[in-house]
Amino acid sequence: MDKFNLSRFSDPPVMILASLADGPKHGYAIMEDIEAFAGVHLGPGTLYGAIARLEAQGLIEPLEAEERRRPYRLTANGIAFLQEQLSSIKSFASMGLARLAGI
Amino acid sequence: MSIQYALLRLYPRCWRERYAEEMLAVLEQRPLSLTDGLNLFFGVLDAHLHPHLGTTGMPLYERILHMFLTLRRSLLTLFCAYVGFIVAGIGFQKLTEYSDFTEAAQANSLMGLTFNLVVIGAVVALLAILVGGLPIAFAVIRSSLARKRYGSLVLLAGPLIAFVIFLGTTLLLEAADHPNAEPIVQLFTHRSIFLGIFFAAAIASPVAVCFAVIRSEIPEKLLHFALLPFILATLSMLLVLVATIIWGLSLHNSVPALFNSNEGMFGTSTSGSWIKIVIMMAIATIIAVVAVLRGWSARSALRTTPA
Repeated sequence: MDKFNLSRFSDPPVMILASLADGPKHGYAIMEDIEAFAGVHLGPGTLYGAIARLEAQGLIEPLEAEERRRPYRLTANGIAFLQEQLSSIKSFASMGLARLAGI
Repeated sequence: MSIQYALLRLYPRCWRERYAEEMLAVLEQRPLSLTDGLNLFFGVLDAHLHPHLGTTGMPLYERILHMFLTLRRSLLTLFCAYVGFIVAGIGFQKLTEYSDFTEAAQANSLMGLTFNLVVIGAVVALLAILVGGLPIAFAVIRSSLARKRYGSLVLLAGPLIAFVIFLGTTLLLEAADHPNAEPIVQLFTHRSIFLGIFFAAAIASPVAVCFAVIRSEIPEKLLHFALLPFILATLSMLLVLVATIIWGLSLHNSVPALFNSNEGMFGTSTSGSWIKIVIMMAIATIIAVVAVLRGWSARSALRTTPA
């Protein structure tokens, strides 16, 4: 599969991965969770475009469908990828805050 | 049928099989806003441009076959778009063959430059199509001979047969000029037959080639290779389109009398002919760009999927 395109879908995939970090969720639950913790509304096209990419990259995997809803969970690669992303955001935020403290 | 359901039906089939039910479950949770409707529409475009998405649930063999067929379909679509572009290009060539246009191009440097760009772009596009297409044509011949399915050879010769029929009809029409016939009736009949045969040949030729390719066993590596020159052909089509637009605008600004004259094909409006040519070129180029993007996505997926 082609390489994960972070430049195009940098935010939605990370937010989806972050949403799944506290357990498996189906599409609508992911959407609501992201609205609650990030204040961002992911449209259905964006949500499933990102889910399809994350799945193609092996970062998330589908579980058995519950009626028409299918929950997703993080894979080991997904956990590692999310950790890497969040660590880089954390170091970036720390650096920015440290510089601000010096003003 | 709800708007949500109608929009979901626009997604590719394999995507629908994989995600449609759960997407519908999400969409039913709240009324569809205009923003979400547009978002869904762009999701449809995204899914069509990236045909490998939504195939993760397929068995590996089916996934590879799906990508192979998508790549082949993209190349054939691009070839058909190129033929459509050539038809528009012939219109442009006929439009600009009169001395008035040659003189205007010599007097106006921008018109001269854009005309030269049209010619250069057309030559590059033709060469690129030949470089990418000829190995596939040879593969069709090899496959046809090996499997003793000679129908593919006849289909591959379709453009040549169509050209001979077109040429024969043109000569017959010239010979059939009757001095006693009503000039307007004769002119109308001849032009109708000429255009009918021309467009029939223009449609039949790429269709025959496409069927020849579909019926044959084409090695995957040839399709992978063909996409690269076909990308160049698409870029050349884009160049020719832009040059044709600028050429027409320059003509409008520098020689408005000629732009508003009736120097189009068969004495039709010059500006009208130019607009029709530009529209046809633009449609063909958009189809080619979409085919390239789909083909590239399928090609990338094939290269990274373990066989």
